[in-house]
Amino acid sequence: MDILEEITEILAEILDIENHNISPETYLIRELGAESIDLLELAVAINSGFNIDVNDDEIFLRKLRDYITEAEQQNKNILQYLVKNLPFLSHKRLENIIADLEGGPTLKVKDLISYIEWQNHGT
Amino acid sequence: MFFFNPEYPVNPVKKIIFNSAKVLQKMKFTGNRALILGGSCDLAISLARRMIEAELFPILTYRNEKGREYISKNLKDCQKKYSSLYLEFGNRDSIDSLLHQTGDVIDFMVDFVQGNFESLVASADIEDVYSYFAENVSFRAEIVKRVARIMMKNKRGRLIFISSAAAKRPNPGQGFYAAAKLASEAIYKNLGLELGGHGITTVTLRPGYIDSGRGKKFIQDHSKEIIDKVPIKRALTKKEVAEAILFYLSNSAAGFNATEIPMDGGLTAGK
Repeated sequence: MDILEEITEILAEILDIENHNISPETYLIRELGAESIDLLELAVAINSGFNIDVNDDEIFLRKLRDYITEAEQQNKNILQYLVKNLPFLSHKRLENIIADLEGGPTLKVKDLISYIEWQNHGT
Repeated sequence: MFFFNPEYPVNPVKKIIFNSAKVLQKMKFTGNRALILGGSCDLAISLARRMIEAELFPILTYRNEKGREYISKNLKDCQKKYSSLYLEFGNRDSIDSLLHQTGDVIDFMVDFVQGNFESLVASADIEDVYSYFAENVSFRAEIVKRVARIMMKNKRGRLIFISSAAAKRPNPGQGFYAAAKLASEAIYKNLGLELGGHGITTVTLRPGYIDSGRGKKFIQDHSKEIIDKVPIKRALTKKEVAEAILFYLSNSAAGFNATEIPMDGGLTAGK
């Protein structure tokens, strides 16, 4: 089972939804309505299922908007600041996130996959 | 119901006491492995004995070699029915080491740990205040968080925090002790509130005067004062407290969650 399949199984069970409603592009909060208790359960399941340490704030991009505010206050380039603080996301993904902020919480299923791959590679 | 039989004149109270070990064995528990934080205090050892009688497996933590030896000496007749592991409140590395050794199953946790800190608020050394709260509140939050996540994997868990009647009614000099207890109670309460639906529940007990450990000498020195203050006119025994804790861990007490329960003989009920 690859990472996407496993994450899909976990999400479907936690959120009590059908697997076909979940793809890498699915928004966890905006579309699936995941609440904080669901995300906690997800973090525990990822920790257990993939045998990796999970920092909830990192994997769920909880400090994203704080980082953007910090970058603005310090007159720093927002993209570069995010690259430094969210190293498991690609430049392209971070550019998309910055462009997508007004729509609400930006966390997607593929961000979880990026985090797991990043942790698995020990970087 | 007790029926008096003239052929066998048995005192019913004695009969109940005689059977207390059997009563413990009859309690039903969801799970087996019980982590006891602060395992080298007399109350914890008394609890561990009753857990063993109830066929649970206690894992007692100690913070130094003296504590390890004390546990070993007092449970020497219970070899292989318990384990003891190092945990020092304030030393975050010791959490990693502890949880690495306990493995992925912790069904129960009973938390006796509390550093003592007596000082009038207006005369306290402020550096001591910072370190006291770091050890007794922040460190506790970390271990509660990590144990809760282990329990979440198994979708079950029961945690009991041993607070104190002083949390509700501190004496002069107990302000920081009471504040740390109340803060810790809030952590446990919220855990039960947040994870009750996931099978993880919490209870805080607030014992009053106990004829054991830190309170023993105080009780000996102030026996008249205690008799005057406590409606049941005596201190609690460690056996009573240990058996109450075991009850609150049992399935029969599953309805108690996210709450604080006084166990003080009525001490804090009146003026």
